[in-house]
Amino acid sequence: MSAEKGPNGPAAADGDDLTPDSPQRRMHYAGYQGEPADKADQDSMSSIFKRTKHPVDTSGRPKDDSDPRAGGPDVTAGHGGSEVLGTPPNPTDSSQTPETSVMRSATATAQGAGGGGGVTPRAPHTAEYDRRAARRAERLIAFWFTISIVGTVGFIITNFVGDKHAQYYTPAMGSALGLAVGGLGVGMILWAKRLMPHEQAVQERHEFTSPQEEIAVTEEEVALGFADTGLARYPLLRRSLLAAGTILGGLVVVPLLNLTNSKPGKKLDHTHWVKGARLVNLQGRYVKLGDIAIGGIETVLPAIPVKEADGSLSYEPKLDLHSKADSTTILIRLEPGVNKPRQGRENWAVDGHVAYSKICTHAGCPVSLYEQQTHHLLCPCHQSVFDVPDGCRAIFGPASRSLPQLAIAVDDEGYFIARDGDYTEPVGAAFWERS
Amino acid sequence: MTTASAPVPKFQKRPTPARKVNRAIDDRFGTQGAIRRNFNKVFPDHWSFLIGEIALYSFMILLLTGIYLTLFFDPSNVEIIYNGSYVPLKGVEMSRAYASTLDISFDTRAGLVFRQIHHWAALVFVASIIAHMMRVFFTGAFRKPREVNWLIGIVLLMLALVEGFAGYSLPDDLLSGTGLRIAASIAQSIPVIGTWTSFLVFNGEFPGENFIPRLYVVHILLVPGILLALIGAHLGILWHQKHTDFPGPGKTEHNVVGHRVFPVFAVKSGGFFMLTFAVLALLGGLAQINPIWTFGPYDPAKVSSASQPDWYIGFLDGSTRLMPPWEFRGLGHTIPAVLWPTAVLPGVLFTLAALYPFLEAKFTGDRASHNLLQRPREAPTRTAIGAMSLSFYLVLFISGGNDIIAHTFSISLNAMTWAGRIGLIVVPPIAYVVTKRLCISLNERDAEIAHHGIETGIIRQLANGEFVEDHRPKPPPVSDYPQVPTDRIPLPAGAADGGHGKGLAHRAGKAVGGFFTEETEKPAGDAPVGGGSKH
Repeated sequence: MSAEKGPNGPAAADGDDLTPDSPQRRMHYAGYQGEPADKADQDSMSSIFKRTKHPVDTSGRPKDDSDPRAGGPDVTAGHGGSEVLGTPPNPTDSSQTPETSVMRSATATAQGAGGGGGVTPRAPHTAEYDRRAARRAERLIAFWFTISIVGTVGFIITNFVGDKHAQYYTPAMGSALGLAVGGLGVGMILWAKRLMPHEQAVQERHEFTSPQEEIAVTEEEVALGFADTGLARYPLLRRSLLAAGTILGGLVVVPLLNLTNSKPGKKLDHTHWVKGARLVNLQGRYVKLGDIAIGGIETVLPAIPVKEADGSLSYEPKLDLHSKADSTTILIRLEPGVNKPRQGRENWAVDGHVAYSKICTHAGCPVSLYEQQTHHLLCPCHQSVFDVPDGCRAIFGPASRSLPQLAIAVDDEGYFIARDGDYTEPVGAAFWERS
Repeated sequence: MTTASAPVPKFQKRPTPARKVNRAIDDRFGTQGAIRRNFNKVFPDHWSFLIGEIALYSFMILLLTGIYLTLFFDPSNVEIIYNGSYVPLKGVEMSRAYASTLDISFDTRAGLVFRQIHHWAALVFVASIIAHMMRVFFTGAFRKPREVNWLIGIVLLMLALVEGFAGYSLPDDLLSGTGLRIAASIAQSIPVIGTWTSFLVFNGEFPGENFIPRLYVVHILLVPGILLALIGAHLGILWHQKHTDFPGPGKTEHNVVGHRVFPVFAVKSGGFFMLTFAVLALLGGLAQINPIWTFGPYDPAKVSSASQPDWYIGFLDGSTRLMPPWEFRGLGHTIPAVLWPTAVLPGVLFTLAALYPFLEAKFTGDRASHNLLQRPREAPTRTAIGAMSLSFYLVLFISGGNDIIAHTFSISLNAMTWAGRIGLIVVPPIAYVVTKRLCISLNERDAEIAHHGIETGIIRQLANGEFVEDHRPKPPPVSDYPQVPTDRIPLPAGAADGGHGKGLAHRAGKAVGGFFTEETEKPAGDAPVGGGSKH
């Protein structure tokens, strides 16, 4: 850190044997702006810049004296000697712009694609000339890195020793990880900001357009190569290749259609409801007349009647996902006289009980919010509103079709059943094949 | 070893191990030129350039946490009876996908914290992509020669949305299942091929057979692979073309001014990655997100009210809610209303966004390459178009939560929907006109200051009795780089130190004083008057 240790930048490591203070050496330091005004300035400058880490010329090979970088007219020092000492230039001084103080980097241009450019150190920050400030910054950075260590250790300990069922576990893990990476992050940024020299590096951009001759040559070469393929000369070759390629591309249909063995067919038109199926609620109980209070609702699914070997009838509730996805039905008991059945559906309701598909005709969500006062059903996904007494007509929102109605009846034992079987129209969202 | 004939250059005397490795690699690949060229690459400094970095870093964090989650997640539709440590769901039938997500949340070490970091990172990923896109748009960074990177960015945004949707659909909870059902309905709504599309995607009629393994492959292999490749291309192009920068002292169309990659930019960026990670880790640990155990397993017969997708799908939810029930029926076919807001609208929006650089070049006739950015006001029409698009998006986004807003503020839901429908048509043109006027006015003010200087508030009476206000010239542009103030500069007596005490209070006082005075106090009185350089 101190001046006595001498420069340890790449230029020093390269080991040219110039004395640390010689002008030839110092001109490699970025931002060297000519000889200082007097010896005193030179001394203080060396104490400041000896540790500069960013020589422009990373090769360390000094150029000859005619090198324009050697403080010649190309490099206009915007300020007097005191400026070179590391005093920050007047912030509003527009003469201290990179354009005027930039030094062309011979090494960067040597690479061609690298483009020209140069590096100007900006006004040094306190840590660069004040050893105590540097120590302070170093301690602060080390403090944050220590925080990171604490966080990492805390994370590991919490992970292995902590009780993963305890309330504190996840917050503690997150906080410890936050400290572990955050401490490192804060430390790194402070490191770059406080201890690394501020610089103003300038790099030339280069045009992306190739020279005209190169374009011409390239195009010519490609054209010649294409001619060598003979595609232009042999039409049969060209056409058969094109045909083979196109047909090969059609192969993509195979994996695509293999994605399912289940052809749509008329599947979307049907649900699991059959004639005589009992209405079973989600808990697996058959719904009886009188189970539902006036204004109440019940979500029901079909229980398919199965003829046993002894001739008796048993019911098989369909509560699996596939049945629920299309057969879910909502059974609503309206107040007497409220229901206004549509033409031809006068007998589809029983004693104020009406059954409608619960699958929204808009996007297939279950329509599950029933407003008792207004007799409206609301879909919570996109706020379509259906008017239950009016055949579950869609009265607001993006749905355009009424909910399909299921004709119900009551069997001998008082249980609700599907009177005619399936819905008379497809349930759920509309699709192309639907009329 | 030591041969007298071969003079050994001094610097090869005692190579350190690092140099030995370097030389060994160089012997085989010839890397020195590339290393020096790339280490000396200059990146400009501006806070807005960090937004894209946030997107990149959240993607990396998504990869890291995602790998951890895949080790424990079981993408299976097989129904089992849950018997884990979360008591309220014991004995409930659910898919193994859902059960293993519960296990990650309750019975896996560091499971919940990484799951929540993953989810937060996904939200931040999309948010930072959109913020980054806005930065690029409003500053004209998409102009030639960077149109290809703009296109890649659009594709990245679309894939991020798909990836996010696939991700939150994987746990097979009630919310995600509802989302999938809507997705199936949208697929079904496509004319001609819709039903087949839905059947192919879901392997049969919704909910299909073994759909989760399929979704899993999309989420952990297909989309992330494409994302990774495109992000690589995005960064490679950026690296090759060099970063844009705002105009400033010493900055031209033909140079880049800033820090070199090594060491300052690299260390700062590494630190920024760590900070991004830290914020996400704190969010993941302290802020609960997507508590799937409260939703329960998916059941097509159930739904919870106020079902909300992740925020970035919200605009599509909003457009779906606002869409009037216009369903085409005829000729034995149906085109459902849900098609327009969920498939056609995003298709149109993304296409317009993708085409924008080319449309702008066509209408302005500007086909030159640009490396310097513009302030939004410098391109009033573009800024106005951006504001218009943003307001359109915001109306959709707000409408995506219109039930919650209606509930919170006791507004009629129907009123909210109608406000959204009307707002979608009325607000964007207003935003366009207002923004354009604003930009033009700001430009006029800039021009006036450039010509006449800044008003000082000092009124003088001339000899002929006329009153004039004194103007002082606009200060010359100040470098982006803060010139470090130190106690080494002798401060003029009484200046800058507004009578503050010592130490911290002194420094704080100086800092605050500088904040308020820098616009008005900096230029020296003897500077040339009248902005003569402008003429």
